Amino acid sequence: MFQNTKCECGHQNPIGTVLCESCGKPLDEGLLKDENAQLEMRYDGVARRSQKANPHVVDRIWNFFSSVKIAVYLIVITLIGASLGTIFQQESTLINMTERSEFAAFYKEKYGTVGVIYHALGLSRTYESWWFITLLVMIGTSLVVCSLDRVLPLYRALSKQQIRKHLQFITRQQVVYVGTLKDEPKEWVGRFGQELKRKRYRVWQENGALLAEKNRFSRWGPYINHIGLIIFLLAVLGRSIPSWHMDQYLSLYEGETRQIPGTNYYLKSDKFTVDYYNDSELANNQKGTKVVKLYETQARLYECTDACDDPLAEPVLKEVMQHEIRVNSALTYKGLSIYQNSYQERVRLISVHPTLLDVGTGEAFGTFDLLMDHPDRNQFQVGDYTLKLNDYYPDFSLDEQKRPMTKSRDPNNPAFVFRIFGPGVQSKGEIYIYFPLPNEKSKYYEQVLNESFKIRGDNTGRFAVKVENPIVDGKMNNIEYSEYTTYLNIRVDKAMPYIWVGAAISMIGLIMGFYWQHRRIWLRVDGDKLSLGGHTNKNSFGLRADVAWALGRSGIEVSPKSLDNRRNSR
Amino acid sequence: MKWWLDFSSDAFMVAFYLYCASFITFAIAVGGKRWSNRKPEDHANRWGKIGFGLAVVGWIAHLTFFFTRWYGGGHIPTSNMYEFMTFLGMAIMFAFIIVHLIYRNMLLGAFALPLVVIIVAYASVFPSEVQPLIPALNNVWLKIHVTTAATGEAFFAVGFAAALVQLIRVVDFTRTDKAGRRSQFWTEFSLFVIIVLVGFIVAVFAFRGAGYEASFTQEKVTIADDGTALSEVNKVEYSLPPLVAPYNSETVVFKPFLGMSKPLVEAPSWLNGVNAGRKLNTIIWSVIAGVILYGILRLIARKKLTAAIHPHLSDIDADDLEEISYRAIAIGFPIFTLGALIFAMIWAQIAWSRFWGWDPKEVWALITWLFYSAYLHLRLSRGWQGTRSAWLAVIGFLVVMFTLVGVNLVIAGLHSYAGA
Ligand code: HEM
Repeated sequence: MFQNTKCECGHQNPIGTVLCESCGKPLDEGLLKDENAQLEMRYDGVARRSQKANPHVVDRIWNFFSSVKIAVYLIVITLIGASLGTIFQQESTLINMTERSEFAAFYKEKYGTVGVIYHALGLSRTYESWWFITLLVMIGTSLVVCSLDRVLPLYRALSKQQIRKHLQFITRQQVVYVGTLKDEPKEWVGRFGQELKRKRYRVWQENGALLAEKNRFSRWGPYINHIGLIIFLLAVLGRSIPSWHMDQYLSLYEGETRQIPGTNYYLKSDKFTVDYYNDSELANNQKGTKVVKLYETQARLYECTDACDDPLAEPVLKEVMQHEIRVNSALTYKGLSIYQNSYQERVRLISVHPTLLDVGTGEAFGTFDLLMDHPDRNQFQVGDYTLKLNDYYPDFSLDEQKRPMTKSRDPNNPAFVFRIFGPGVQSKGEIYIYFPLPNEKSKYYEQVLNESFKIRGDNTGRFAVKVENPIVDGKMNNIEYSEYTTYLNIRVDKAMPYIWVGAAISMIGLIMGFYWQHRRIWLRVDGDKLSLGGHTNKNSFGLRADVAWALGRSGIEVSPKSLDNRRNSR
Repeated sequence: MKWWLDFSSDAFMVAFYLYCASFITFAIAVGGKRWSNRKPEDHANRWGKIGFGLAVVGWIAHLTFFFTRWYGGGHIPTSNMYEFMTFLGMAIMFAFIIVHLIYRNMLLGAFALPLVVIIVAYASVFPSEVQPLIPALNNVWLKIHVTTAATGEAFFAVGFAAALVQLIRVVDFTRTDKAGRRSQFWTEFSLFVIIVLVGFIVAVFAFRGAGYEASFTQEKVTIADDGTALSEVNKVEYSLPPLVAPYNSETVVFKPFLGMSKPLVEAPSWLNGVNAGRKLNTIIWSVIAGVILYGILRLIARKKLTAAIHPHLSDIDADDLEEISYRAIAIGFPIFTLGALIFAMIWAQIAWSRFWGWDPKEVWALITWLFYSAYLHLRLSRGWQGTRSAWLAVIGFLVVMFTLVGVNLVIAGLHSYAGA
């Protein structure tokens, strides 16, 4: 590496300096040799932190991450890695599978051999994979190191600038004008400075030399952008802190109240509604199809105030909020958000209001309320009769030995076994099995089973339980049921504020850096020879226009194009 | 309402023809310098001004289309492929007008306008009827997201147009070494790809105009969770003569075409999606039409197309083009970041409860963004300015187009609009 860091102007520069920090004379041998080459003006040629004479291990790591080249590699590898994840469906989108073998089978069936390889390589979980997350962490590290490595030297270089620059520094900029001056130098430079001020440059002068500068702040744009990105990345990583993040699904049928797991809250769906577009609102190619216009869950949120953890007592609930949850309108309460995810059209009985009848006379003894889900009592008084609930099968079926059993805890085919006591009934009571669901299969079971009780002598066939007038004016009567089950997504995401702050900072930085450009113009007069150089980090077109305009107003007509010094540079 | 929608379609046709006229005028500005006895700069300026004027009037007609359709349809027209593509065309015109006003470079119009014409014609391939919104799309943030993202992409498109001119400008046809030949080939190839896209549009409209149709039924068997086999019969309609039939399908209707009365082949089994066969067929037709078109153009030019265009670009400076291309991208990058990522995240958070879900469309927006940020970082070092940077601008726009169109065609996700 290049050793002599003392410039002819007397300034002692740190190792790695390309252009003298003070007068701007090129120090780098390569730059000195090729006199026509344009100067490398990044960070004004000052040394970066990473450019040390004897790098240590820590320095080496630092140096690795401080290189923009490495950053670009990281970005490109991340980009390619991310694209691999879009080839086939990701596992995370298959919400009804959990086991590795299920996933493996899915990829095999859907995509064949390629799918098997894809799954085996772990590409079906690209975005959760260790290598992808490592890449993101490395990008974050690179962002921090790269920015720190440059921002301080750049700050130093820009905050103490010399006005009078070396001639080589001026004539090797991207925008250059060299000519002879007919006017009195001092007075002309003053006038020229005035013109630049009208273009909002800040102007400094020092015996026949001038420095004009504008929009320096835009140089900080990239760094502010990077700070925003770091905050964003940290927030994303922060989401893996368990208490910061919750993501689960809850299904509710109409009328159901359920605890939101892991919280003190309970949620109830009062009603679920779906609206479809009518035919006149649809486009021609959609007519006759059902296109959903709106679906919503009318929800109530409760907070448990007492007996919350007591398995024996009913929890005491206090309503805290009501909201119509729709796809674009979540219920939010104290950091908890409940979103409409999807729904299923699935009829489910909630309760019935049946009548106890005398089969022979048709006489009705009275009615009672029967809840399907968890019958809330085991004895019902109907007129003079008492019905004791002996057994309850929410999802009735027969096992291999033809014994009754329940297939699940959902009331898909509920069956109630009553023992009826009262006037004129044998002392051990009559057994009656009741199937409220009004379909053939249930009614068939009801008939056959009661028949068998009769044969056993437990039942005389005197009683019947059934819902009377089940339909009135086309609407269900004496029967309460849920038509839809709603699926809600419950979320807590404490990182969100940081995500938005990071994004906002990043955006501010981008706007600063891209919609304003740092422009500088150096000028010096030696005898009657005028030398002017200009530099900008972007938009040299604009800078040339500024210079040509100011020169023109000070009596030197040039076309902006002729100021371009990049002619031979590529 | 109906009246507004009809008026809107008329405005759209007006915009389309004005864009075509503007393109021809710009082409005369660039190509016809030796026809008149005026000074070449005067010629270019004069025709360029007319071309720009036509473009602006066309754009106003396009805006009229957009707002009347918005009013007539009851929601902002950005919610299906037709509407999105026409919006993109309008945004590219906006970006072009801005960049033109900054740089006043006549050449740019000669390349940006055909791009807009192609995009607008491509939009017309999709059904143009107004469709009602599904609940998830009914959100202001979605509208803000789609419009800003498209505006950012439009600046990338202008950057692409400038970069392509730059590449054609700097191709050196005298070079016969490997690197020289390679750059000649790839520049020509870029034009060829564009011509294939034109071929696609021409093929679709030619067969649609002739009323061509064919359809198939495809039976698909899936095994449900409880082990029962569900068989589903789907109907697939073709508007281009089926060279490739859907996998495992029965022909329902087949209008004979040039003596062909049944499909030549059936799509391979791994392309077993409902529309996969049709898409493959479309791609094959596009390439066929593209090759024919390219062949005709080559016969007219009697040399490589780039070689035919190249001489007309000689009085423009490659550095200026590179600056325009870079500047357009630099203007577009923050807009794209805001629209395609930040607004998208806000919308996703409101609608889907997660600001990011690794949905293919989201991932490709991220890839686009990473690609352009790599482009910007590479430009920080001198070696990546000039031709290399122009190639990146060209590839970048390919990535943009894949994100917009390719993802819908190849991979379907949450965002995929109906149609395609
Ligand atoms: C991998 C980590 C990254 C590193 C090490 C890095 C490093 C740098 C450096 C050193 C600069 C030059 C600053 C200057 O000269 O003033 C820069 C500029 C910039 N960076 Fe990054 N960067 C990284 C990631 C990103 C990402 C992911 C983005 C995405 C937007 C980004 C956006 C920018 C922008 C927009 C500029 C300004 C470019 C220009 O002025 O043309 N950076 N970056």
